[in-house]
Amino acid sequence: MSLMEEIIAAVDEMPPFPQVVQRAMQVLAEPEYEVSGLVDILKVDQAVTANILKLCNSAYFGLPRKVSSLKEAVVYLGATQLRQLLLSGAASKIYEKPNEGYAVFADELWRHALATAVMAQVIRRHLRLEIDENMIFTAALLHDVGKVVLSAFVSDKYRVIENLVENGKRSFQEAEKEILGFDHAEIGGKIAEKWDFPPAIIAAIAFHHEPFRSPKEFRLLAELVALANNLVVMVGYGTGVDGLACRGHDLLLKKMKLEEKDLEKLVLLFQTEMEKTCDIAGVGSG
Amino acid sequence: MSLVTVGIADFKVSNNPEDTLVTYSLGSCIGLAVYDPEAKIGGMLHYMLPDSSINQEKAEKNPAMFANKGIPLLFKQCYKLGADKKRMIIKVAGGSQIMDAASTFNIGKRNYAILRKIFWKNNVMVDGEDIGGNCNRTMYMQIDDGRINLKISKKGMVEL
Repeated sequence: MSLMEEIIAAVDEMPPFPQVVQRAMQVLAEPEYEVSGLVDILKVDQAVTANILKLCNSAYFGLPRKVSSLKEAVVYLGATQLRQLLLSGAASKIYEKPNEGYAVFADELWRHALATAVMAQVIRRHLRLEIDENMIFTAALLHDVGKVVLSAFVSDKYRVIENLVENGKRSFQEAEKEILGFDHAEIGGKIAEKWDFPPAIIAAIAFHHEPFRSPKEFRLLAELVALANNLVVMVGYGTGVDGLACRGHDLLLKKMKLEEKDLEKLVLLFQTEMEKTCDIAGVGSG
Repeated sequence: MSLVTVGIADFKVSNNPEDTLVTYSLGSCIGLAVYDPEAKIGGMLHYMLPDSSINQEKAEKNPAMFANKGIPLLFKQCYKLGADKKRMIIKVAGGSQIMDAASTFNIGKRNYAILRKIFWKNNVMVDGEDIGGNCNRTMYMQIDDGRINLKISKKGMVEL
């Protein structure tokens, strides 16, 4: 098998995206969903049910009494919190696999993904972009999912990839593509396809390093994820062996009319939001 | 030995020789480590942004987020423990940037520029630094001897 065939085989072996989460997301996407229908989907999965109750009873919400019914918790949390909880739960499991190809510290990939999702939402609000909040959260959270598959291959070829980054002024992603035939963004797109995600999310994942290559109708989402990724990498959130060897999209800043002070404000808003999110998710923000 | 984590937009000071202060993931952020070798008192700051004028309210709540608020605060807290300005050894790491970034993206450069300006105004000399580039850094400081080690994404562990 050639290297490229091996990589494609590894994509095929990726476990499916949790069905319960995917079905719940479909229900939650409807403006007026049936709570009982949603509860029927969720209750099948004990871990998901336990997580919903745990979040609802967490110190963050400070409820005066303990909520023990799933239905009550679903009503209390509401669609946005539920979506984020379900997606984060599923994504954290996917990213938790060993990541010797990219990570310097454990948890890095997951922290980076979560940070990018938070940053993308902060940018959307700051610029009042009209893109669906769910799409943004999902695409940003899963943008690096290709790294989960590519990790072992990057690890094998690390020296060669790193040499290209050092000498040829290539970004880490460009060097991956040159050495392995694929980069993690393309592989992420293939995984999202396999999971039957909507085309806008597939495009945003596949083109998060080259948003200008995204099909026009999905380009805004790809641009948003690319910019959020740029800013999170810049700050240093969960960057691994690739460090900051990622190309900055100056044209996006021009297009979105963002100047120095705007970026500083975005970083500030992001940090505040990230600390809150980590409190809720129970992960360290520092 | 106990590892004391300095979070993002955070600072810690210590006079416990058992402590090692550490701050992870310095990209465009700056890690500033100050140490009085005689009193064996050290402090570390991890700030994200140059100037607090963008949000006064946040500056009150979390001064360690900004260079202009966090740097004076770090020194003051060390003095409180008994450190002396004249003896302080100062080391700086971080201020990286993403590739071919326009100046707009370069918060790292602005984070470093304001540090130099504050130090220049206050007659503070920097004794060691590792700044810029496309790498990320983790900074460690041992309180017993003030030694600074950096874990750099491309180079591994080096002493500063």
